[in-house]
Amino acid sequence: MREFRFRLILIIAAIVLSIYLLYPTYVDYQNSSEIKQALELKKDQILRDNPELNKSQVDRILRIMEDSILTSSPDIVKNREKRVKLGLDLQGGMRIVLEVNTGKLMQKLAKNPDEAFNEVLAEAEKEANETDESVVDIIGRKFSERGIRLSRYYGTIRQEDDEIIGELKEDAEDAVTRAMEIIRNRVDQYGVSEPSIQRQGSRRIIVELPGVAREEEAKQLLQGTALLEFRIVRDPEFTFNVMQKIDEILAGKIIDSTMTDTTGLGNETADTSLTSEDTLNQEEELTEEEFREQHPFFSIALLDPQGRSADAYVKADERNKLDMMLNRPEVQKVIPNNVEFIYSAKSFTGNEGEEFYLMYMVNKEPELTGGVITDAVATINPTSSAPIVNMTMNSEGATEWARITGANVDKRIAIMLDGVIFSAPVVRGKIPGGRSQIEGMADLNEAKLLEIVLKAGALPAPVDIIEERTVGPSLGEDSINQGLLSVILGYALVAVFMIFYYRKAGTIAAAALTFTILFILGVLAGFNATLTLPGIAGIILTIGMAVDANVLIFERIREEISTGKTIKASIDSGYSRALSAIVDSNITTFFTGIILYQFGTGPIQGFALTLMIGIGASLFSALIIARVIFDIMVAKNLPATVG
Amino acid sequence: MRIFENLNFDFLGKRKFAYAISGVLFMIGVISVVTRGFHFGIDFKGGSEIVLQFEKPVEISNVRSYVDNIGLGYVEVKTFGGETGVMIRTDQQVIPTAVYPQVVDAIEREIENVMPGVPRQIIDSTASSVTYAFQNPDTTNILVDALFSAGFQSGKISEEPDNTQMIVSVGISDWIKENLREKISDNSFTVLKEDIVGPKIGDELKQDAVLAIFFALIAILIYLGFRFKFIFAFGAVAALFHDVLITLGLFSVLYGLIPGLNLDIDITIVAAFLTLIGYSINDTVIVFDRIRENLKIHKTRPLFDLMNTSISQTMSRTVLTGGTTLITVLVLLIFGGEVLRGFAFTLFFGIIIGTYSSIFAASTLVYEYATKYKKKVEF
Repeated sequence: MREFRFRLILIIAAIVLSIYLLYPTYVDYQNSSEIKQALELKKDQILRDNPELNKSQVDRILRIMEDSILTSSPDIVKNREKRVKLGLDLQGGMRIVLEVNTGKLMQKLAKNPDEAFNEVLAEAEKEANETDESVVDIIGRKFSERGIRLSRYYGTIRQEDDEIIGELKEDAEDAVTRAMEIIRNRVDQYGVSEPSIQRQGSRRIIVELPGVAREEEAKQLLQGTALLEFRIVRDPEFTFNVMQKIDEILAGKIIDSTMTDTTGLGNETADTSLTSEDTLNQEEELTEEEFREQHPFFSIALLDPQGRSADAYVKADERNKLDMMLNRPEVQKVIPNNVEFIYSAKSFTGNEGEEFYLMYMVNKEPELTGGVITDAVATINPTSSAPIVNMTMNSEGATEWARITGANVDKRIAIMLDGVIFSAPVVRGKIPGGRSQIEGMADLNEAKLLEIVLKAGALPAPVDIIEERTVGPSLGEDSINQGLLSVILGYALVAVFMIFYYRKAGTIAAAALTFTILFILGVLAGFNATLTLPGIAGIILTIGMAVDANVLIFERIREEISTGKTIKASIDSGYSRALSAIVDSNITTFFTGIILYQFGTGPIQGFALTLMIGIGASLFSALIIARVIFDIMVAKNLPATVG
Repeated sequence: MRIFENLNFDFLGKRKFAYAISGVLFMIGVISVVTRGFHFGIDFKGGSEIVLQFEKPVEISNVRSYVDNIGLGYVEVKTFGGETGVMIRTDQQVIPTAVYPQVVDAIEREIENVMPGVPRQIIDSTASSVTYAFQNPDTTNILVDALFSAGFQSGKISEEPDNTQMIVSVGISDWIKENLREKISDNSFTVLKEDIVGPKIGDELKQDAVLAIFFALIAILIYLGFRFKFIFAFGAVAALFHDVLITLGLFSVLYGLIPGLNLDIDITIVAAFLTLIGYSINDTVIVFDRIRENLKIHKTRPLFDLMNTSISQTMSRTVLTGGTTLITVLVLLIFGGEVLRGFAFTLFFGIIIGTYSSIFAASTLVYEYATKYKKKVEF
């Protein structure tokens, strides 16, 4: 056995690795069906208890429940991340390709567009559809043909055409970044699991939303304009007061009757903040569990122990739990109706590697909305060399801004885009003239993000949907079932045929084929690749073609045996003679796989991938696994016959 | 068990017969392509395609008559899967101007339904959307929600709190769904699949597809040129052209003839063609490899005999591998579902033709070349 040791170890390692890589997929499958069952039960129960709820409300509750199940045991999430991913065509979902409409952008950017301008723009848009030239270039060319200087519509009067064209191109480029940020921000909030937002080429954005059933809603999400708001952040005393009331309600300390006088909140009293410090002091002696029980709210919404601010730190996986708490009617009653809790848009990583979001309490009514912003630029402050964002407003906005900042000195104003807070800078003083400087960003990237956010509320990023593919979940499920059936049936037929035709050697080939399928799936899981319906077709096709190497070898061995050689010699020369044909034919097929992968999108790439992995796996099975089995049989003097 | 044991068939002797078969198949294909043309799916043509699953079985002719009268011109209606599935397709990109008033009417009706006589004004209408202005933000919000739940794609023009404008987008597929919902009110449907491809994307995909097949052929030519003598590489690639062209012809001939089989040329079909190229070259290489080996062993044997022997020796392998692959493709064709049917069909015929061509096109071409130029073929 010694001579086979290396190969045996290699084979066992490959098998163990594949099983190891596939194990999470198996566990996740089981978890998913359990969760699905649990949710079905819950759904029935909810509908029985609250028949007045409509479908989207029920869906929302179920989504929160699903999330809380997921977050309650990190294992489920961990397995889910490592499972074989299913493509949109199998799990349902939508893929949308958006293109920034440069023509529309040019129109919005133009100062006093007139008849001539509109004419040129219409021509340019038409031409851009037929050629690869960009709209900006065409506009530039057309105006210079007509002898009109671009500065009539864009930039300043002294600027040369080339310079303006450069700037316009930058604007077009910016619009894509802006659109992407707006979309990412919304998709994050919409709660789509594993969304993918990618940029393609200079003007396109590809958005993939797995499992999104309400396509109309999702489409809205991607189009419309973004809402930028400036809202006042409430001061720590006030916020803490409300939080404490919530905590007490949740812990069951306050019974309903006493609650009535807390509803009239809005004025913070010194008394309550005193008691709050008392309770905080006592808490130091409590164990974690006791704390959790007595302060359900504060155990999730963590506060700065020194009490400098009342911005709560919320772990990313506990957000849903907190939302459920805050949505309870009795809790809603103690939150004054002119304020609300709002999360930060981006999470940050804590000392122990957990993701945290900040939760602020802000006024419901915005002080100002983003339409007044004319420009925002991220830059480095020359004196302090810290990153800053310079924001300018139009005259109408500037007047309002001066009033707002003047009345709220030393308070914070939250910059909110589509319902989440990107920054909450402190007002240092009254800002007249509409030019503000925002500082406090960690680096220039953060400043750039804020620039994009500020512009998003003001400048348009018009996008068109140029391709859209939606697969309903039921079609996806059918496809999975039909695919699985075909794989099993295809395998069974080929295996039976091989065993019937080659007897013992055929059995070896059939066994090797099992490992081929195992390896394909293992590699897919290991590389985090996506399995699509054409991908399943690729596996089925591989089953048919994988036996090719075995057939070539077996036929060769038969020929060698008929020349009178011994079994061992026949096997040796059969393998070595078949090798060149096997290699040449598989390499050419592999080429077409690579090209297919390059050319295709989504599902087709999945096919190319399984085809290529299939070639590798079947070669390994035929040349190494089947060979070792043969060699061992010969070494042990077992009859290794080929048919 | 074994088939073709000690087979020694005169393959090359029958080559004239094979040329005739290939020639006839090719001509039928060409005639069909010229007269009937190809049918491209929306991947390449651009357009909209929706697949609906009705609750109860639905008469396909009814659906057809409903969508025929909504002014979109020719709309293709087919069954999809069982008798509750319907596929509707049009290559129109936007609602035709003639239909536009009807669309506006439908929106108006819905608005009247919710808020009779509400003051409103259409301030903009493009090919795919209508923009309304109302008097105050609350009215706007109520109407946006009401129209949205009625199945229209309505939205606010801006998220600013004082926004009074509503935009209603009406794509082709929205319009079809809207009409069917109204006309077949006793049988509700869900959307199984919806594809919308803009004209630009279609052109790009077409270009990509042609390039992909072209590059695949070039890559194979180069690789085989290295591994074998150039004439063999040329013969192999010529055989691939033979396979692709005949299968393409078959697509044109059979289009619409087999009920339940959708033979539109789309991306998946291109993938099938590339796979077919991969399979067919595989087959050819195996035969060539044997010829190469035999040429080394039997240096003096006439090429005619030698090639016949080589083909005969590889015959059992050719049939066996072809057989197992055909089995799996057949399984896919029957059980793989509607989405993969065209793909499986292409491979099914492609594999048969590819197997045939590795013997009767690739090998014979090499032989013709060798005899014509009286060259000694070597590797």
